[in-house]
Amino acid sequence: MSNSLREFFDLGIFWEYRSVLLRGLAVNFYVFLAAAALALSVGLGAALLRISRLRILRTLGTLHVEIFRNAPEYVMIVWVHFVLPLLIGLLLHTRFEFNPFVSAMIALGFVYSGYFAETFRAGIEAIPIAHLEAARSLGMGEGLVLRRIVLPQVVRRMLPESINQFISLFKATTIVYLIAVPDLMYQVSMITQERMRPLPLYSGAALTYFAIVLMVGSSLRVLADRWRARIVA
Amino acid sequence: MNNWHRLVWNQRDALLAGLQVTVEVCVISVLCAIVGGLVLCLVRMYVRPLRPIATVLIEFFRATPIVVQLLWVAYAWPELFGWPNSFFDAAWCALAVQSSGYLAETFRGGIEAIPRGQREAAFSAGMSPVLVFRRIILPQVLLSSAPSIVNQFTVIVKSSALVSVITVQDLMFQSQKIVNISYEPIEILTATAAIYIVVIYLVSAAGKALADRLRMSYGIAAR
Repeated sequence: MSNSLREFFDLGIFWEYRSVLLRGLAVNFYVFLAAAALALSVGLGAALLRISRLRILRTLGTLHVEIFRNAPEYVMIVWVHFVLPLLIGLLLHTRFEFNPFVSAMIALGFVYSGYFAETFRAGIEAIPIAHLEAARSLGMGEGLVLRRIVLPQVVRRMLPESINQFISLFKATTIVYLIAVPDLMYQVSMITQERMRPLPLYSGAALTYFAIVLMVGSSLRVLADRWRARIVA
Repeated sequence: MNNWHRLVWNQRDALLAGLQVTVEVCVISVLCAIVGGLVLCLVRMYVRPLRPIATVLIEFFRATPIVVQLLWVAYAWPELFGWPNSFFDAAWCALAVQSSGYLAETFRGGIEAIPRGQREAAFSAGMSPVLVFRRIILPQVLLSSAPSIVNQFTVIVKSSALVSVITVQDLMFQSQKIVNISYEPIEILTATAAIYIVVIYLVSAAGKALADRLRMSYGIAAR
């Protein structure tokens, strides 16, 4: 017990490989940024479908949200990486493959687009109808109303919830190592196989993610609160 | 259609066995998460000397990604504590650990929302602290956090697909095994994804209905 405790705090092996591990962590952030951009744009599209006047579009939006909110991220990543290229290949009659990074981005982006769609929709529906009527009566087109009146208010309203979703998305980027995207966990498992010392390596990885999520999460929340207070008040 | 029959329907025994393991892992871990969350929350609120430890544990459990925790519990805990000895135990334990952190915070909110007067009335009626907790506080807290418990259960089912990584033979493990034998991933992986989506949808819909009905019948309005 005391031996293993000493090894738990002996994160020297973690420090020894810091350049490789840092490069892995950077990959985590790249995946996060790509997936977040995709999730936000697809989510906005799905939210607009869900509040559309046509029933068929509304049904499509609901279907999108229910499928992707209920899909496990890991299953989606495996499906996108191993099935989607085959389906596209069948359509185009060629051999087709995704780079693991692209698969990770598509899978995580679509899964989280389901969550973001609901956040967007709640934000849009909370806007008083009078704002839209006033804007239209001034002669603004639909696009201009969306851009100038709706979206600025939606962004402010959905900020607290979307910070939580961004944090879950960042946490979810750790599973991309399972399709061999060279992120932090991938490097950790490679080094574990080489050195056969899982304890300090996995503990170090857990502590690293813990520190990042805690610090980035709490400082984002403080910043967002301040920004909202300045604009709303 | 032929392929679907050959690759999915003929493998139904393996898939069902996998689904059974998934259900076992999820049910054990949600029960442990409720108990663990209650313990963490009570220690944080009422056991002053241990409060910092409980707070750090709750934050740690909430902020660490599930796959990291899974590997940590499966490979680091046996060296640290001599337990868990099987990957099945590691799987439900890691899932429970993650959710207990979230549930601890929910329970804390629930306990703080109970009016002080109720506790004072119970004490002045001569109830012991344990009895007050069991008869007055716990039922209300469980009812008011029922929606969060349901939500955590769906999170657990979703994360449970990852236990195949540490070779627990759940649904995802079985379907990947079939893929590795047949080299034809399209049908079986699509079917697996569909099973997960349907199961999680049903769990969350049924759980929500159950939670709402319980809360209605005990006089707490459904949200």
